[in-house]
Amino acid sequence: MSNFPLRDRMHANDDAFKTSGSLFGLTKLNRKEDDPGTYEAVWHILSNLCNTAWATGCKVSSSPIAAEGGDALWALHTATGEAVCISRGISAHAGLLSDMIKHFIELGYEDYPGFKQGDIFENNDPHYGGIHSPDFDMCMPLFHEDKLIAWASCVSHVSDSGSVTPGSIGFLNPDCYSDGIPISMERVGEHDAFYPWYEMRIRSRTRTPDFVMGDARGRLAGCITIRERLQDVIEKYSLDFVLDSMNEYVEDSRRYAVARVKNQCVPGRIRKSQFKDLAMKGKRVLLAKQDIDCMFNLPMDLTINADASVDLSLAGASGTVPFGENISPTALKSGLMMGYSHIVGFDMFNSGPTSAWNVEMPPDGSWANPYPVDFQAASGVAWAPAVTWLSNLYEVFGRLFQMRGFVEEMAAGSGSIMTAEFAGINQTGMYLTGLTLEQASQGSPARGYSDGQNSAWCIYTPEGDFGNAEVGELYYPILFLGRNVAPDSGGFGKFRGGLGHTAVWMVYNTPGLEYQCGDAGMRSKTVGNHGMYGAYPTVPDRPGYGHKTNLKELIDEQKPLIHERGGPDNPAVTSKIIAELSEDSAVAPFVTPESLVDYDVIVHPISGAQAMGDPIERDPESVANDLNEGWTTQRVANDIHGVVTSKPNGHLVPDLDATAKRRAAIREDRKARAVPFKQWWAEERKKVEAQENMDNAVRVMWETSMRLSPEYGANIRKFWNLPEDFTFTPDAS
Amino acid sequence: MASFDKADIEKLIDGVLPWPATQDMLKSSKDEDRFDKYVEIMQARVDFDDPILLPLTPQLFIVSSGGERVVKCKCGQSFGDYRVNWKLSALIHVRDDEQKMREVYVGREMPDPAWLQLREYICEGCGTQLEVEAVPRGCPPDFEFLPDLDTFYSEWLGRPLPDTATFEDKTLEKIAEWSNSAGG
Repeated sequence: MSNFPLRDRMHANDDAFKTSGSLFGLTKLNRKEDDPGTYEAVWHILSNLCNTAWATGCKVSSSPIAAEGGDALWALHTATGEAVCISRGISAHAGLLSDMIKHFIELGYEDYPGFKQGDIFENNDPHYGGIHSPDFDMCMPLFHEDKLIAWASCVSHVSDSGSVTPGSIGFLNPDCYSDGIPISMERVGEHDAFYPWYEMRIRSRTRTPDFVMGDARGRLAGCITIRERLQDVIEKYSLDFVLDSMNEYVEDSRRYAVARVKNQCVPGRIRKSQFKDLAMKGKRVLLAKQDIDCMFNLPMDLTINADASVDLSLAGASGTVPFGENISPTALKSGLMMGYSHIVGFDMFNSGPTSAWNVEMPPDGSWANPYPVDFQAASGVAWAPAVTWLSNLYEVFGRLFQMRGFVEEMAAGSGSIMTAEFAGINQTGMYLTGLTLEQASQGSPARGYSDGQNSAWCIYTPEGDFGNAEVGELYYPILFLGRNVAPDSGGFGKFRGGLGHTAVWMVYNTPGLEYQCGDAGMRSKTVGNHGMYGAYPTVPDRPGYGHKTNLKELIDEQKPLIHERGGPDNPAVTSKIIAELSEDSAVAPFVTPESLVDYDVIVHPISGAQAMGDPIERDPESVANDLNEGWTTQRVANDIHGVVTSKPNGHLVPDLDATAKRRAAIREDRKARAVPFKQWWAEERKKVEAQENMDNAVRVMWETSMRLSPEYGANIRKFWNLPEDFTFTPDAS
Repeated sequence: MASFDKADIEKLIDGVLPWPATQDMLKSSKDEDRFDKYVEIMQARVDFDDPILLPLTPQLFIVSSGGERVVKCKCGQSFGDYRVNWKLSALIHVRDDEQKMREVYVGREMPDPAWLQLREYICEGCGTQLEVEAVPRGCPPDFEFLPDLDTFYSEWLGRPLPDTATFEDKTLEKIAEWSNSAGG
């Protein structure tokens, strides 16, 4: 084991990778080759050790987000910061934690304030690599005798980080000064205890300090668990074996991912456009500059090279927004590591797979790299555009796997992520704000061979768990009136995405409750660009609520209540109850204009995931089954899938002859109404040049994308045969 | 190294392979001969004899045809040089107003046509909906994948193709032709 300073070792590792092509210069995996059984066993022991930390840490945590939803993560790192293995939980953060440790080392913290056993370091500041303020990233150096041999790390998502609006999804934050309490690369404790002033700061600057401190103790408990268990492993298997193997696991995982690309993909260039809306004009906002609508451009340009390395570019990313949806490049890369590890390198989830990636720095001043141009940019919910961008990875690698015949590995993209947060006095008289976990259990993407699963998946966490309704009711002054599968929420295709669900809540036992329908990757004016192989994407997020309702009367009279969302053109919130203020198709995100009161109703939909394949190739039996389950409607069955049914014995069955005729007619209709691309292009280019029927948010997006990435802009001009000096012209503000 | 029956791979493609067998495929180390078996299966399912070089999608294939590498639909409809985005040779139906959008998304499910248009790419031969794009006006069509076919065959599969083609995107060349013609 080297006695060189960690920073020198880190740089030596970088040099060794450049010259040898192997992480740590490990051209041979000696421990694996010499003793493969023990090597494999220790991997599983270390992984389980992280999972033990997760179980312990979540139990110690206080907020329902960690304690009930498991929205946290623990990891074990090498001495130089590479993540070796991680726990269950929010796996998107492993890269972030790794980069945080490397950052502490790079900044010279080894010399001052120094590293010693029992030190606690934290960061949540996006300017230094954090993602957003409610995600508290922690690490602790682990020593054996007097040598720093590893790090334990953790992130947990706290219920309130003191941002300008209550809660943890700060989509309304106008600038970084409103993002809440910053922990900026700090030592926050020693000797396994937090400094008193750390706790005092939490108590004075967050709205739910008991929860926030409880979660801090949960993080600490998990890290100490890793430290103690790692000592046991070292005693049993020897220090040298464990440390050598830790490095080898990372390099092993890199090799696995590279080999998998070579064995299961095809070299070439991938392009995938993606967009996301954020419509805030006319809504309750904080500053005048926020009375605008925004659109994000989230492009992905990816090249798989002959050596199976991967180049990735975000050229064309649009500009920053005066809301909390900007992200630091470090955090973006961490999300990328999660997505890629899910799809390609998931044998051993650690820092290895993405080390073979060359990620071009996103354009300065874009949502993905705001600070060089806009140092004040807010990141209250930085995940929002990033997670929609990441969804591309599922689809594009699904396409590559198909080309090699590995149909079992294919997946369409994810749905969208819309959150629900509450703030107010709960039934025990306690002020509370926090996030429900509804969005953490969406439909899963369609596979190459089957539909996705309903309410069983989430792009940012493999937990896929929305928590128990009854536990949510203990914390928040709400009662569940319904939690139902949402029909037609998984796109329309040969295989559909898993369906999402709708939560129907009644506000109860509170003097007033604020409902924040938040943006953690939602779309409300648009849909995802996930028409894979001819499928239609999932529907937009459109929640509803009723304020000052007649629900009490209905309950007193024992009449039917509202338990579901209702059809897209027959919403239950306006047809089943009476309210002074009803909103049945609200454009998300928003905060209710005034506090909700007892017997108010919220209808909060959660997205399904994306479909794949031409909808008229869907198995007619599957369509009939969906009809019988109430998971689709006759309109979709007939008009989109071309399936005709009959009901001979109380159950719908497909009429195969009539279906074949209907589908043949649909094919002919398509050919009759479609035009040759060139003809459309000739007309469309005139509309593009005239900027016809393009919302101002769209024009702003294109203007910034083309200005920040000149080559991307030039290609758009070439494609539409526009003048070389053409720019899109936003409305004068 | 695992190896799977062609019949089971066909069942997988058709979505009828029993779940335990599907799990076996998911969990096993990947079979090296899968690509060749997959191409054989697809070759038997298409309405043309040109040899498939790469299944671009389940419906579109890069094939060797008369000394050229072109994209063909299952039905045999040709979409031209694989280095030009095949969408330029497709039929297209665009939903860019509420009336057209409503045929797919109704009520609260409808996206805003000032923010987004739905582009449906249709095969002129068989009427299959090949891809759908949901993008704002101004977005060029995605050229989802331009393969480096020669590297793939020579370096990854170890059997070079008899001919070669430069790895380059020729889409904008086609657009330049259109721009210089009366149509542009």
